[in-house]
Amino acid sequence: MKEFTKGILKRNPIFYLMLGLCPTLAITTAVENALIMSAAFLFVMIPSAAIISMVRRWIPRNVRIPSFIVIIATFTTIIDLLIHGFLPRFYEVLGIFIPLIVVNCIVMGRVEAFASKNPVRESILDAAGMGIGFSAAIVVVSIIRELLGRGYVEIFGYTVIPSFTRSPIGVMILPPGAFLTIGIIIAIFKKKGLLKGV
Amino acid sequence: MNTREIMVLTIICIISGFCLFAVHNLVKERIEKTENTEMIRLLSEIFPSSEFAEENGIYLARSKENGELEGYIAMAEGKGYGGSISLMIGIHKDGTIKKVKILKQGETPGLGARITEENFLAQFEGKSVDEVMLKRDGGTIDAISGATISSRAVVEAVREKMLELAYLWRSAG
Repeated sequence: MKEFTKGILKRNPIFYLMLGLCPTLAITTAVENALIMSAAFLFVMIPSAAIISMVRRWIPRNVRIPSFIVIIATFTTIIDLLIHGFLPRFYEVLGIFIPLIVVNCIVMGRVEAFASKNPVRESILDAAGMGIGFSAAIVVVSIIRELLGRGYVEIFGYTVIPSFTRSPIGVMILPPGAFLTIGIIIAIFKKKGLLKGV
Repeated sequence: MNTREIMVLTIICIISGFCLFAVHNLVKERIEKTENTEMIRLLSEIFPSSEFAEENGIYLARSKENGELEGYIAMAEGKGYGGSISLMIGIHKDGTIKKVKILKQGETPGLGARITEENFLAQFEGKSVDEVMLKRDGGTIDAISGATISSRAVVEAVREKMLELAYLWRSAG
């Protein structure tokens, strides 16, 4: 159970490990983007970790990185095709960031650091924990950014938080807004001692 | 690299290739269909009661009832402040604009991105080529305040496309 929970808060990939910041900055402009990205990310992360953990004994050390990349890329391409076919609207918005899950440091990092050395069950738990940690982080960041930057939160056509201001803080939707949000969240977490080793 | 390393990597790649082949085959039709319906949806927003036929990248809109030509729809690209802006221009058969739609843009939210707003785009409706210019350039279109570059990019893209189409028609007789 420890393998599962550590990724969610204590070693949150974004707030503690500070991995995968590139897609985080880019797609957290709207909550619905973050949700779709989270789903795609979990779809890639968990099966990749499971399969890599299963075949870890057969993969020679020297070719492990290319092997991992091929496996991760396969799942990424599958989800990319599915989103293109079934959710064309999000395919437009998320664009390059879905294919880029391949080189997402969280997937690669956890596979290399954990799944390639541990049994299947633990690897799946680790991947799920890290994946949910990443998802939770991007959803939180996107809620803050959308709320402050647009003045309301709308998910799949439903208004979740109605408009409360007529002059939203436009900069929150822009890249600096993501840095500010992540920075402030990390500061709060550190202050409260929620992250491991601080 | 020894033989075993090469073998393992090759096998992984082959398996991966087969999986992707299978998935791609499964969703191929679906992808084509969604792209097609998406296109028709966009075209119908400009000419709601028409059928469309493509000819050299220009869509001819014909009435669903009697097949009479109602107008044309063309795609255009403009160079905005945040990259290219792609748009769709519907033109009545008398050469005036029916409607302009922005398909894709990367302008600054709150400023340039306001080119997608109805207030701005509605100005184009019913205008002819000579009128499609910003007011400060001697035309009839009001630029969005604080976003002259984006506004001008749209206006220029529309104008250039209309001139190009006019030329095509003239040379086609």
